[in-house]
Amino acid sequence: MNRHYEVVFLVHPDQSEQTPNIIQRCRTMIETNDGQIHRLEDWGRRSLAYPIRKTTKAQYILMNIECNDKILTEIKHYFHFNEAILRSLVLRRKHATTTPSAVMRSINGDKEKTFKGTPGPTTATKESSVAKTRKTPDVTASNEEEQS
Amino acid sequence: MHTYYRKKTAPVAIADGNNKEIDYKDVELLKSYVMESGRIIPSRITGASAKTQRQIARAVKLARFLALLAYTDQQ
Repeated sequence: MNRHYEVVFLVHPDQSEQTPNIIQRCRTMIETNDGQIHRLEDWGRRSLAYPIRKTTKAQYILMNIECNDKILTEIKHYFHFNEAILRSLVLRRKHATTTPSAVMRSINGDKEKTFKGTPGPTTATKESSVAKTRKTPDVTASNEEEQS
Repeated sequence: MHTYYRKKTAPVAIADGNNKEIDYKDVELLKSYVMESGRIIPSRITGASAKTQRQIARAVKLARFLALLAYTDQQ
């Protein structure tokens, strides 16, 4: 029985030439066992928020796959013992996802905001005068800037 | 109590495909729920509902694991 998973893994920047091989290996593992890759994204080399194994950049790959549990164990095993892969994350999903992720959209320069609804004057009526006297954190300012 | 007065609504993220939850990959959104020091902002300040706050916390922690967000601002 095939389940949906979301897999993200980080490849060491010095070994990012191996990335296509890694992806191909995963692809053969999945597709020879009646699985499917619904979404494959390469976010390229991104700076890390903190150093991992002394490197500050890594190649990010995102995959949404549908496969059975045996193949997933194989993939996890492969990631674990491949020294080029710094970190991997596997999440169980209920459905396949094929739309570009938020990171991919920002890489492609998509101007569409992911926010829905604004924190705004409509909700604060009587409380607005009281709220203004309080110190507001930077969050408010940046949110309002983003919404404008 | 200051929570009595503050009732600012938090922005809600649009789903990533089928997911109706806040996505750990949406770093832009998550950054607005995180302080400069890297800590998660309490919901009494952002106005997020309990459910949303739990989703935010889960997403932030996943993003931190993947080095999309920092755990702390110190080295």
